[in-house]
Amino acid sequence: MPLLFAALALIALVGAAGVLLSRNPVYSALSLLLNFVAFAVMYVMLSAQFLGVVQIIVYAGAIVVLFLFVVMLIGGNLPALGRGRRAYVRAAGVILAALFLLALLFGLARPLPNGLAAVGAPDGGSVQALGLALYVDHIVPFELASILLLTAMLGGIVLARRYQAPPKD
Amino acid sequence: MDLTTFPLLSLILWLPVLGALALFLFADARSIRVTALVVTLLDFAASLLLLPRWTPDGSMHYQEVLAWAAGLDFRYHLGVDGISLWLVLLTTLLGPIVVLFSWRNVTENVRSFFFLLLIQQAGMLGVFLSLDLILFFIFWEFTLIPMYFLIGQWGSGRRVYAATKFFLYTMAGSALMLVVILLLYFQTGSFNWLTLKEAGLDRTLQFWGFLTFALAFAIKVPMFPFHTWLPDAHVEAPTAGSVILAGVLLKMGVYGFLRFCLPLFPQATAIFLPWIAGLAIVGILYGSLTALVQKDVKSLVAYSSIAHLGFVMLGVASMNEQGLSGAVLQSVNHGLSTGALFLMVGMIYDRRHTRLLAEFGGLWRQMPVYSALFMVVVMASVGLPGLNGFVGEFTILLGAFRVNPLWAALGTLGVILAAWYLLAAVRGLLHGPLDNPANQHLADLDRREVLVLAPLVLLFFLIGLFPALFFDKITPAVELLLRDVGPVIGR
Amino acid sequence: MSLPTLDFSLILPELVVLITALLVLIADLLWPRAASRGREQAPAVLALAGLILAGLLTLLAGEWSGATLQGMLVADALARYLNLVVLLAAALGLLLSWSYLPHFSTQRSEYYALYLLAVAGMLFLGKSIELITLFVSLEILSIALYVLTGFHRGQLAGGEAALKYFLLGAFSSGFLLYGAALFYAATGATRLADIAAQNAGGFYMLAGLALFLVGLGFKLAVAPFHMWAPDAYQGAPTPVTAFMSVGTKAAALVALFRVVQAAGSVPVGVWATALAFLSLLTMTLGNLAALRQSSLKRMLAYSSIAHAGYLLVGVVAGTAAGFDAVLFYLFAYAFMNIGAFAIASLLERPGFYAVQDAGIHAADGLFGRRPWLAVAMAMFMLSLAGIPPLAGFFGKLYLFAAAVESGWAWLAVAGVLNSVISAYYYLRVVVGMFMAEPSASAHLRLPLPASATLAVALTALGTLLFGLLATPWFQGISR
Repeated sequence: MPLLFAALALIALVGAAGVLLSRNPVYSALSLLLNFVAFAVMYVMLSAQFLGVVQIIVYAGAIVVLFLFVVMLIGGNLPALGRGRRAYVRAAGVILAALFLLALLFGLARPLPNGLAAVGAPDGGSVQALGLALYVDHIVPFELASILLLTAMLGGIVLARRYQAPPKD
Repeated sequence: MDLTTFPLLSLILWLPVLGALALFLFADARSIRVTALVVTLLDFAASLLLLPRWTPDGSMHYQEVLAWAAGLDFRYHLGVDGISLWLVLLTTLLGPIVVLFSWRNVTENVRSFFFLLLIQQAGMLGVFLSLDLILFFIFWEFTLIPMYFLIGQWGSGRRVYAATKFFLYTMAGSALMLVVILLLYFQTGSFNWLTLKEAGLDRTLQFWGFLTFALAFAIKVPMFPFHTWLPDAHVEAPTAGSVILAGVLLKMGVYGFLRFCLPLFPQATAIFLPWIAGLAIVGILYGSLTALVQKDVKSLVAYSSIAHLGFVMLGVASMNEQGLSGAVLQSVNHGLSTGALFLMVGMIYDRRHTRLLAEFGGLWRQMPVYSALFMVVVMASVGLPGLNGFVGEFTILLGAFRVNPLWAALGTLGVILAAWYLLAAVRGLLHGPLDNPANQHLADLDRREVLVLAPLVLLFFLIGLFPALFFDKITPAVELLLRDVGPVIGR
Repeated sequence: MSLPTLDFSLILPELVVLITALLVLIADLLWPRAASRGREQAPAVLALAGLILAGLLTLLAGEWSGATLQGMLVADALARYLNLVVLLAAALGLLLSWSYLPHFSTQRSEYYALYLLAVAGMLFLGKSIELITLFVSLEILSIALYVLTGFHRGQLAGGEAALKYFLLGAFSSGFLLYGAALFYAATGATRLADIAAQNAGGFYMLAGLALFLVGLGFKLAVAPFHMWAPDAYQGAPTPVTAFMSVGTKAAALVALFRVVQAAGSVPVGVWATALAFLSLLTMTLGNLAALRQSSLKRMLAYSSIAHAGYLLVGVVAGTAAGFDAVLFYLFAYAFMNIGAFAIASLLERPGFYAVQDAGIHAADGLFGRRPWLAVAMAMFMLSLAGIPPLAGFFGKLYLFAAAVESGWAWLAVAGVLNSVISAYYYLRVVVGMFMAEPSASAHLRLPLPASATLAVALTALGTLLFGLLATPWFQGISR
C-alpha cells in the first residue's frame, strides 16, 4: 500500500510540475489531467470512493475538457507564458504563494478542530455512506436543493428571453 | 343612573371620538357643524356631572381600570382629582366655544376640520385623565397629530413651517420620556401612577427621570428657553387652533409637572426647583418685554402666553399650598382669558384679514360691543381685582413670596408689564381716531360671536368673585401632593 | 436500510405554496393568454388562492409544538408567526402586483411562480434549524428575488439593481457559508440543537458567528452591509420591493435569532454588543440618508434600512420578550411599510401624475384629489415614525421595552431619538399631500385599480387597529 501511495504521489507531482513547466498550454492541460487522475486513485484508496469518482467525472472529465476546448479555440500557438510580466506582479505572486504556504503549514501543524475529526472516519466517503447522508440524513435539504435548482432555472429562462414590452392600450 | 359605577370618565373621553366618527354620516357642512356642536355640548354636560358628587378629599375619583396589554402591563386606567378636574372642564368648555367660533369662517374641508377638533379634544382629555404612564404617553403624543394638521392645513402664512416645527419640537422633547417610563416600569413593575408615586425611586433614576420629563413638559408649557416653537405655532394657527393651543395644550405641560415630575421624583424636584423658578421668572420678563414690541396683535397675545405661563410655573416652583393651588387655577384662568383674547383677535381678523395694530384704531366708536368685551377680557388677563386673573396671580405671588420675596418682586414686575402691553393693545385697537377707511364699515359682533364670548366672560366674574368654589376642590389635592412631596424637599 | 418516514404535515403550508408555484407555471400552458383576455389574471388568482390557503393552514393546523422534520425543519410558534407575517406580506404584495405587472411585463406566470418560490424560501428559512437547510432556503429566496428585482427588463435601473443585488448577495452567501463551515469545524454538527449542545467555545465558533452576522446582515440590509438595498429597492418593481422589504427581513431575522441562540457558547456580551452597534449604525445611517432623498421609493428604501436597525434591537435584547417584540413589530411593519409602497406604486402608475419613479413631490396635493388615499398614506408615515396610537408605536414600545429590560437602555435612547429624526422626512410627505398645491402634471383622476385599493384599505386598517387590538395577545409568541 505505501508503495502504491508513493508511486501515485510521484505521478501527481510529475503532473503538477508538467503543468508549470510546459511551454505549450495543451501539454499543461494534459499534465493537469495526469495530476487529477492520480489524486482520484488516492481518494479511492482512502475509501472515499465517491470523491474519487467525482474527481474523474467532474475535474478530469468536464473541467480539463473545457480547458482543452478553450485552448484549441484560441489556438495552440500562444505566446509562451510568463514572459513580459512586470516585476511587481511576480513579486506579489511569490509573496501570496508564500503566505498561502505558511497558512497551510500553520493549519496542518494545529490539531484538527473537534468537528472535523468525525469526517476522517473510515468508510465516511463511500458511495453508501454518501447515499445515506444525502437520502436519509439530509433528505430535506437535498429536496430543497431541487427547488433551488428549479428557481435558478426559471430565473435563467426569464432573464434569457428577449424582452417584450406589454401592448399599450 | 348610578354614578359611582357608571364609567363617566370614559364617556367624557370617548364621546368626542364617537362624534368625530358620526361626522361621516353627513354630507352637508351645516349638519356637520351642528353635529360637532351637539357633541361638544354633550361632552361638556357630561363633564359637569363630575361636580355634584365630588368629595373634596384630594384623592382620585371615578377611577376606571381595564387590563389591556400583555407582555407589558399597561392598562386603561383613568381617574380625576382636584388638579385635573378643572382642566378637564376647561377642555370640554372650550370645545363648543371653538366649534361655534369656527361656524362660518371655516369653509374648506369642513368635515376634516371638525373631525380634527373633536379628536384633538379627546386626546387632551386623555392626557388629563390617564393614570397609566403609557396611556398618558399615548395621548400626549397623539395630541400632536390633529394640531399639526389644524395648523398646517387651515393656518396662515408660514403654516407648514410652523406646523412642522411644532410637531418635531414637541416630539423631540417627549421622546426620551418613553425610555424613562420603561426604566420606571422595570424597576417597579408598574406603569400605574398611584403605585409609582409610593415606590420611592432611587436617586439616579429620579434625577434622569425628572430631567427627561421636565424637558418634555417645559417644551409644552413652554418655558424659556424652549419657547421658540410657540410664537410660530400660535401666529400661524387658525383661531380655533390658537385657542386650543393656548387654552389647553400648554396646560398639559403644567399638568405634567404637577402630576408626574413633583410626586414621582421628589428628591430631584428639590434639586431643580430653583432652576425652574429662575426660568419661570426669565420667561415672565422675556415674554412681557417681547410682547411690548409686537406689531401683530396675535403675536402679542402669543408672547403674553409665555409670560403668563411663567407665572404659572413660578407657582409650581413655589411648591407650597398657595403656589400650587394658584398655579392650577391660573392655568384655567389663562385658558379662559387668553382663549378669549385669541377669539377676539380672530373676530377682527375675520373682518379685516390683518392683525397689525397699525391698521386699527378708534374701533370703540364703530364696534362698541366688541370694544366693551375686549376691555373686560384684557382686564381679566391683566389681573384686575374682581376678575379671575387677579385671584390666580395674587395666590401665586403669595406662594412665591413665602419662599423667596425676590421671586415675588420680580413676578410683580411682570404684572405691571402685562398691564402695559395689554393696554397698549387696547389703545392701538380701540382708542384714537377712526382714521383707517377700511375700518369705517366694520360690523359689530353678531349674536353668534357674543354667544361664543359670553360663557367666558361669565366665568371671569364667577372665578373672580367666588374663588372658593374652585379652590375648595383644588386645595385638598394639592395638600395631598404636598404631604407626600413636601417633607422630601423641606417645605 | 429503510428510507425515513417524513411527517410532511409539518410543512403543509410550505408545500401548498410550492405546489401552487408549479401550478402557476403550468397554468400558462393550460390557458395560453392569447386565447381569452378574461384569463390573463389566472396566475395571479391561483397564486393568491395558494397564499390564502397556506395562511389558513398555518392558522388552523393545531398547535405548532416544536416537532421537527428530522431535526432540519421545525414547526414551532416562532415559525408559525413568521409564516403569518410572510404570507400576509406576500398576499398584500400580490394584490399590488395584480394591476402593476401588466404595465411592464407579459411574463405573468413566470413572475408569480418566482414570487411564490421566494415565499416558499422565506417560509423554509423561518423553519430551518440546520445549517445546510438554512443556507439552501436562503438561496431559494435570494435567487428568486434577484430575478424579480430585475423583472422590469425594459428599464435600465431594474437591471442595474438586480445585478448589484445579485453580486453583493452572492458575496454575502459566501460569508454565510464560510460561517456555517466554521460552526461545523468547531462542533462536527450542522443541526443547531447539536451545535448548542456541544457548547463548544473558542475561535471557530466566534469567527463562525461573526461571518453569520455578516451574511445575514447583508440580507437584512444592516449597515455597513446595506449598500445594495437602496438601489435594489428603488430599481425593483414596487410590489416586489414592498414584499421583500418585509418578507426577507422577517425570515432573516428569525434565522439570525435561531443562530445566535445556538451559538450559546459565545459569550452573550460579545455578539450582543456587536449587534447593538450594528443596530445603532443602521438606524442612524438609514435615517440620515433618508433625510436627503428626492425619490419617494428611495426614501422608503432608506427608511426600511433604519427599520432593520430598530428590529435588531429586539435581537440584541436576546430575550424571548425581545423576539416577541420583533415579531410584533414585523406585523406592524408589514402593514405600514407595504401600505406606503402601495401608495408609491399607485403614484407611479403610467398616466397617474405621469411620474415614472415617484419623486418625493409626486404626492403633492393628493388630499385634494384622493382624500382617503392621502389619509392612508399619512397614517403609514406617522406609524413608521412611531406616533401613537398607530401600530408602529406599539411595535417600538415593545422593542424598546425589551431593550431596557435587558439593560440596553442606551440603545432604546438611540432608538427614540432616531424616531424623531425620521419624523422629519415622513412629515415631508405628509406636508406635500395635505399642505402643498398639486403638482402641475396632476391632472388625471384615473380610476384606482380595485386590487391595489383593497391592499391600501387592508394595510390602513391594520396600521390603525393592529397596535390597539393585538396588544392583549402579545406574549409568549416566540416560545
